[in-house]
Amino acid sequence: MSFFPFFQWCDATAIGAAIRNSRWLFPLVESIHLLGLTVLLGTVIVLDLRLLGLGLRRQPVARVAAGLSGLMAGSVVVMLGTGLLLFLSEALKCYASPPFRVKMLFLFTAILFHYTAFRAIAKDKRAEARPILSKLVGVVSFALWMGVGLAGRAIGFY
Amino acid sequence: MSLLSLCQWLQDTPWGTAIRESVWVFPIIETTHVLALSISVGTIAIVDLRLFGVILKKEPASEISQQVLPWSVAGFVVMFLTGALLFWCQAVKAYNSPFFRIKLICLFLAGLNALIFQFTVNKTMATWDRDLIPPARARLAGLASLVLWTGVIAAGRTMAYKF
Repeated sequence: MSFFPFFQWCDATAIGAAIRNSRWLFPLVESIHLLGLTVLLGTVIVLDLRLLGLGLRRQPVARVAAGLSGLMAGSVVVMLGTGLLLFLSEALKCYASPPFRVKMLFLFTAILFHYTAFRAIAKDKRAEARPILSKLVGVVSFALWMGVGLAGRAIGFY
Repeated sequence: MSLLSLCQWLQDTPWGTAIRESVWVFPIIETTHVLALSISVGTIAIVDLRLFGVILKKEPASEISQQVLPWSVAGFVVMFLTGALLFWCQAVKAYNSPFFRIKLICLFLAGLNALIFQFTVNKTMATWDRDLIPPARARLAGLASLVLWTGVIAAGRTMAYKF
């Protein structure tokens, strides 16, 4: 079975066509998408710096993570929502784009990693007692989200 | 010499031409610019949202800004340098784009806001450091920063489109 008919269907949706045919909608949605990414990356970086022991060392990991979980979830929702709209408007282009596939792979892994391994270490009251594991989670998390951003930018080029 | 002819001269320099016409260098600079911008403005937004009394309310405001802002500055340096290279290779396009002008104005105002904050509200931070909701002037500075950086990003992104 091929995914192609699904991408064709997405490309033909009324919402997709409306965004594609509008002068303002695509740049507007794209800008909101980028703003969502900015807040998301800012949040991820502060969390990862804390795990790496490079920032907010006086604050317990669990408290920093709890304080930022709302912002993290909110920015993920904004990114997924606007990302879906952008995808509908150029689904066929995405189908042909290798960076799009790479991005989806990174995105899926990054979200999965965040709500499993990252959340486990962030909720662990003794995260401070496991510096190596904390640092590893911090590095992997950062790499995965940067991968999402890099591959996403590349969709515009290739 | 007019500003436009200066822009024309700048992008016609060997370096400007080389970057503009390159297969790999331009996308790499552009991508670095966007990611550095996300890192810089994203971390600034964390500090702004603390100033506004939205997130990390249990942590002292001074602690958040001192620990997070050095990374914002590092990101800003990379963003500024890559931004200068991007301008260098397409100065005429930037000159002719109204969005580039909006972006520069927002950038200037964001810098001015940070400078004013540094020399006024920041000095009294010790008196409200642990407040769940900081005083009105601090909240205003945080909000202004969020709005202005949103302007920088939205205008910067829109530069790529013709209307």
